Amino acid sequence: MQASARHQRHRLATIVGLLPLIIFLALLLYVGLNAPNFLTVVNLKLVLTQSLTVVLSVIGLSAVVMAGGDDVVSGGIDLSIPATAVLCAGIVAVMTSAGQPVILAAGAALVASMLVGVVNAVLITRLRMAPLLATLAMFVAVVGITNVITERKRLNLNADSIAALRGDIVPGIPLGILLVAILSLLAWFFLHRSKWGLNLQAAGGSRDAAEISGIRVDRLVAQSYLLAAFMGFVTGFFMLARANGYSPGAQDNLMLEMVLATFLGAAFSPRRIVTVWGAILGAVLVAAISIGLKTIGVNVFWTDLIKGALIVIVVALSAISQRVQ
Amino acid sequence: MDTFANKNWLSPRKILMRFGFLIVFAAFFLFFAAWNPVFVQGQNLLNIVEGSAILIIIALGMTLIVATGGIDLSVGIALDFGAAFAVVAMKSYGMGWFPAACVGLLGGSLVGLLNAALVVGLRISPFLATLGTFFIGSSVQRIFTHGGGPISYRQMPDGFRNIAQGNLFGIPTEVIIAAVLVVIYYLVLERSVWGRRVHAMGMQRSAAIVAGIRVNRILIACFVFASITCAVGGLIAAANIRMFTPLSGFAYLLDAIAAVFIGAALHPRGRPNVLGTLAGVLFLGMVTNGLNLMGLNFNTKDALSGIILVSALALAVAQRNMRSADGD
Repeated sequence: MQASARHQRHRLATIVGLLPLIIFLALLLYVGLNAPNFLTVVNLKLVLTQSLTVVLSVIGLSAVVMAGGDDVVSGGIDLSIPATAVLCAGIVAVMTSAGQPVILAAGAALVASMLVGVVNAVLITRLRMAPLLATLAMFVAVVGITNVITERKRLNLNADSIAALRGDIVPGIPLGILLVAILSLLAWFFLHRSKWGLNLQAAGGSRDAAEISGIRVDRLVAQSYLLAAFMGFVTGFFMLARANGYSPGAQDNLMLEMVLATFLGAAFSPRRIVTVWGAILGAVLVAAISIGLKTIGVNVFWTDLIKGALIVIVVALSAISQRVQ
Repeated sequence: MDTFANKNWLSPRKILMRFGFLIVFAAFFLFFAAWNPVFVQGQNLLNIVEGSAILIIIALGMTLIVATGGIDLSVGIALDFGAAFAVVAMKSYGMGWFPAACVGLLGGSLVGLLNAALVVGLRISPFLATLGTFFIGSSVQRIFTHGGGPISYRQMPDGFRNIAQGNLFGIPTEVIIAAVLVVIYYLVLERSVWGRRVHAMGMQRSAAIVAGIRVNRILIACFVFASITCAVGGLIAAANIRMFTPLSGFAYLLDAIAAVFIGAALHPRGRPNVLGTLAGVLFLGMVTNGLNLMGLNFNTKDALSGIILVSALALAVAQRNMRSADGD
């Protein structure tokens, strides 16, 4: 009798736990029924292309959250990824417009991006600054430096190799989507299947327990910030490709979408933890919803309201399902 | 032991530990003063305080929420709502300045009520709940203003304009309002039993619950109180430029968080506190003003203040670490 009650409770929890995903899919289905061209290959490609920069940043962010723990204020978080991305995009745009080869520009951008990662890692693991605070301050500083480099100007892209990210590699599959898919698989493997990734998750799950079992937590945490900075570097190129150049001000929206996607992703995962695949799914779904709402003619002023309501509903449902369990 | 302590008192490490941030504060002050003598003139110092009035008010609200152990990303929305409700009440409903100001505060409190409902009612973490409120509040403003155009009201009653532009014995009203709020916050958060409870739940929530503190009730009160405070900032902003500019509150968010954490780093036990926040805000205000007086290019100034922000925070945190390592 008792066992069946518990069983029922467990089933209820599973259903409530799946609700976030169901709500999303229902919303997409609704959009698909109202706009016949929404569920087409062309549009699907558009959704994926639109989500590439967010997908790349959430890979970095989820690594940081996994290593630092998912408490947003005291755990791991890296808000500076979008700033690193615009820094990289700015450096590459300025150097290539000045006639420098792309390789050289990319090298300089890589050095600058990793420097951001190193500063983050030092502030957080050496000075024990709260990651939210450290990376938020770094966001402001890095965006400021980027504005000095680019003089807040729009710069057109002057490098075919970066524009090639938009083009098809084999007919029908754009190079950018393929590359991001490969990177996502690699990230999934390294963060969820390798020894390093498991240590990283152990460090984030319980810092003390990880330290007692001999995991060098600080080193892993520092590495996660370096990885995040590297993902910011990669994101920069996709930003350049998408906007066909550098346009100032891309960082704010990316920051919000990145955080939104990562924590929505946690609500999709069965144990309510941040995972790479959850975050990527979150990024793609958010892009799909944004484009979908546009296709059925929802006033663009309402999009933020719907996104905000979605965060609240999804996160609330995941809190409820945890309580039911 | 005592003699030892006295001997060590003058070691550079101890000096840095005790006065590190103060030394930096003073160094910047002297640097700006040397660069441009105008910086130290009474009028300019008053300008710094006046320019920081809104940030002080927002940072006070943030201090309260951070003291509960959360964070509030929607402070800017509460500011916008305060301004919007007051301006619309005067412009469209012809209210007097005082009722309109009260309507503005009520409008701001809606933001706090929504946050409280999400955090306490639905048990969403404050970061995500207030991020949701931020999205929703931004969108509501865009819908209401058809895309974000400002609502200006040049003929607003003098009483309302005086909230920002009047003065009492030569001191601008906004400075007086900010000062009064600082005193209220200090008394409530640092000197009252209620404030102790807030800090207790912020430090160890489960222990606070065991000790019989009604955590939920306090959280609701804090969110509402903080949003009303931010709405006061909104009234000042609206009175200053005689209009409501949608989404203008976002500009204060990062500075408010930075000020609170600089202040917390100055505290012996690393707690957010009212006087520390005030020091943080004044530091940020001084840097902005000083860089302006140096006549730098807009972009350079922004980059420099960002770099100074990172270094100041790093220093404040390092100072706290050294102190706690020495068990001082």
